[in-house]
Amino acid sequence: MNIKNTVIAISLVTSSLVMGSSSVYADWPTKDIHLVVPYSAGGNTDILSREVAHLLQKELDVNVIVENRPGAGSTVATGRLARGGRNADHTILMASPGHVIGASIYPNLPYNAVSDFKFITKLLDAPNIMVVPSSSPYNTVAEFIAAAKSKPMTFSHPGVGSSVHMSGELFKTLTKTKLTAVPFPGSGAALPALLSGDVDVSFENASTVLPYIQSGGLKALAVTSKTRFKALPNVPTVIETEGYDLSGFVTTVWNGVIAGNAFPDEGVEVLQAALQRVKESEEFNAFIDKMGAEASPLSGEEFKSFISSEVIRWKMVAEEAGVRQS
Amino acid sequence: MENFSEVLSLFFVWDNFIAIAIGVFLGVVIGAIPGLTTTMAVALALPFTFSMAPVSAILLLVGIYKGGMYGGSITAILIRTPGTPASACTLLDGYPMAQNGEAKKALKMSLYSSVIADFISNISLIFFAAYLAKIALNFGAPEFFWLICFSLTIIVSLSGSSVLKGFLAAALGLMISLVGLDPVYGSQRLTFNDYNLMDGISFVPLLIGLFAIPEVIDFYQRKVVSKTVINASGKEISWSEFKRCIKTIVRGSFIGVIIGAIPGSGATAAAFISYSEARRKSPNRENFGKGEIEGVAAAEAGNNGVAGATMIPLLSLGIPGDVVTAIILGAFMIHGLTPGPLMFQNNLSIIYALFLGIMVSSLFLLVVGLGAIKYFSKIADVPKEILFPIIVMFCVYGAYAVNNNTFDIWLMMGFGVLGYIFNKTGIASAPFLIGFILGPMFEDNLRRSLLIGNYDMSIFFRGPITWFFITLTLGSILFSFKRWLSYRNK
Repeated sequence: MNIKNTVIAISLVTSSLVMGSSSVYADWPTKDIHLVVPYSAGGNTDILSREVAHLLQKELDVNVIVENRPGAGSTVATGRLARGGRNADHTILMASPGHVIGASIYPNLPYNAVSDFKFITKLLDAPNIMVVPSSSPYNTVAEFIAAAKSKPMTFSHPGVGSSVHMSGELFKTLTKTKLTAVPFPGSGAALPALLSGDVDVSFENASTVLPYIQSGGLKALAVTSKTRFKALPNVPTVIETEGYDLSGFVTTVWNGVIAGNAFPDEGVEVLQAALQRVKESEEFNAFIDKMGAEASPLSGEEFKSFISSEVIRWKMVAEEAGVRQS
Repeated sequence: MENFSEVLSLFFVWDNFIAIAIGVFLGVVIGAIPGLTTTMAVALALPFTFSMAPVSAILLLVGIYKGGMYGGSITAILIRTPGTPASACTLLDGYPMAQNGEAKKALKMSLYSSVIADFISNISLIFFAAYLAKIALNFGAPEFFWLICFSLTIIVSLSGSSVLKGFLAAALGLMISLVGLDPVYGSQRLTFNDYNLMDGISFVPLLIGLFAIPEVIDFYQRKVVSKTVINASGKEISWSEFKRCIKTIVRGSFIGVIIGAIPGSGATAAAFISYSEARRKSPNRENFGKGEIEGVAAAEAGNNGVAGATMIPLLSLGIPGDVVTAIILGAFMIHGLTPGPLMFQNNLSIIYALFLGIMVSSLFLLVVGLGAIKYFSKIADVPKEILFPIIVMFCVYGAYAVNNNTFDIWLMMGFGVLGYIFNKTGIASAPFLIGFILGPMFEDNLRRSLLIGNYDMSIFFRGPITWFFITLTLGSILFSFKRWLSYRNK
């Protein structure tokens, strides 16, 4: 009897251990979640992250702590995420175009932008807008391209490797024009040069230039998204330009939540469900509406394949533009 | 004005006064802690303003901004650790004053100068916004280039005993500022393939290392308490001293206003330009850097003059001049307001209510500042054996906190050693800083001008603003040369 009891006891203990180990993450999250922002406090990605943290906190009933880890165009924080380490099972990161552009500019990154991460969900998309000063003689993309083919022209951008910069380079490549990139330290510094006509064009984020388009300081020639932008229904997309094949010209600013490979699948599922509810919430949509953005339907695998195709595309553009490091 | 009653009803609510008080208080405290920057504080406060009325929300953020601009000078003066980058210039004379037992005097002068500059900056915002905004729009890369050229002539006047050593230090600062990615091509410069260096050398670890650490090393090396660093019960500012500084304060304030109105320039540059102008004009020229009260007044007037003026491009053009105003712009947007010309048409009462609040914030700065001096100067009573380890802890924390990166701690230590070598060899750290701050601006604007002008040099002489700064630059060089000649002939 004793032996039998012992066997039962042992088997109970082991089975509970086995079951326990397989369900360590069954009730994820078990502690506070860290949401890493790979940029300094104050930017668009940071402001969005703080709102998302606030909404996610309500959904999951744990604290969501926003942590700023800026450096090298988001690659410092992303590298840390890929390495895993302590707390990796409760750490997520707010990714942006910097994730794919970084991968296309720096060849020696200590991580692979696709295979080293789990892609939880893409939160939003916002178009860039092709704007010219109000004093500019060009009123359509076609007119602008024709002029830029005959004389050297300039476009402003808020930093090498920004989505605004890469959009300009992509435009230059596709239209075979003589555009020169002029860098500024941030959009705030770039705007006066655009308003005064020191530079000829820019492919700025919608949230930055919308007020100037409305006040008449800037003219919107086109939006860079696949479909027209609801805030500017009369402005065509770049793709619509007649006489040129610009079908490859779709660039959006996006944000999405990713995690390292050490992050548990249970956590991915919990977060996907919670963030889906956030994306559908009125509060979130009202918030991103003010940023000129729309909620994105992509999640999981779809998000991942979006990232892989973006990495390939920007790598090509970066090489063509000569901004890829060797 | 028909909207007058509306303005008053928007402004005279308790919430606004509470928002300003909390904002200024938080700003001063956070500004005084090395490594916690005003930008960080404003960004963290932003989500709390979502549920507030628009005027209170903006005033809270503006209060933090203004408080922080002043708060940085407290630790700069007391423990030679600038709380914010903009206060680095204040310690050049503030800390020597504290060592001479005039800490209270330095702190008070810094406060009065800050408040006066803040007030002048606000008045400029209210009355000259439209005019200054126009100048700002005409201030392109070539104009900026000449402004920086003029500012670089400061190096000569801040070099201390030896101009050669000054140039050496400036060149070293310039070289260190080159670390990071090339601004045009994005290629790596002096990064040794280390990702920590991709974004360049962070300003805060550099400042803390350069100024605070050498003092600590020096203390442990000598192991003797030589001077009472701080004497909290020291003398007050006399009326004659204050009168002597008024001209400097007003001049510095206007330098701050003009620099602040131009997007993308910054308070640190304004403080240094104001300081060097004060030194150039002062009869006590030789005393600068050794504890000259006018130096403290000039530096603080320069950086606080910027605070109100950065609201000029923001409100009149909708262009944020620095990161903090970019966050404030975000706060406007979240409340459904769009700064810019349209706001003056559609929401004039809100703008006037904001102006009233901004004026009141100057007053609050004075009150909170006086309180802060009273409590912060208690640091004076802490024995050095206890104080210095605490300073080291703050140095390490401050260096780490900016980017949450341990690499910055090593960087800070490295610059500490460099600062110590500077002290021992009599090399002034001011030219090093100027090279580090202005060097990248010089390069950026030079290259940007060339790109915009398609490499045609005539862009550098394109209008009255460029000629104005060319004249100033040449004048400044000539002036220094003349002084050097007369000095040599003595």
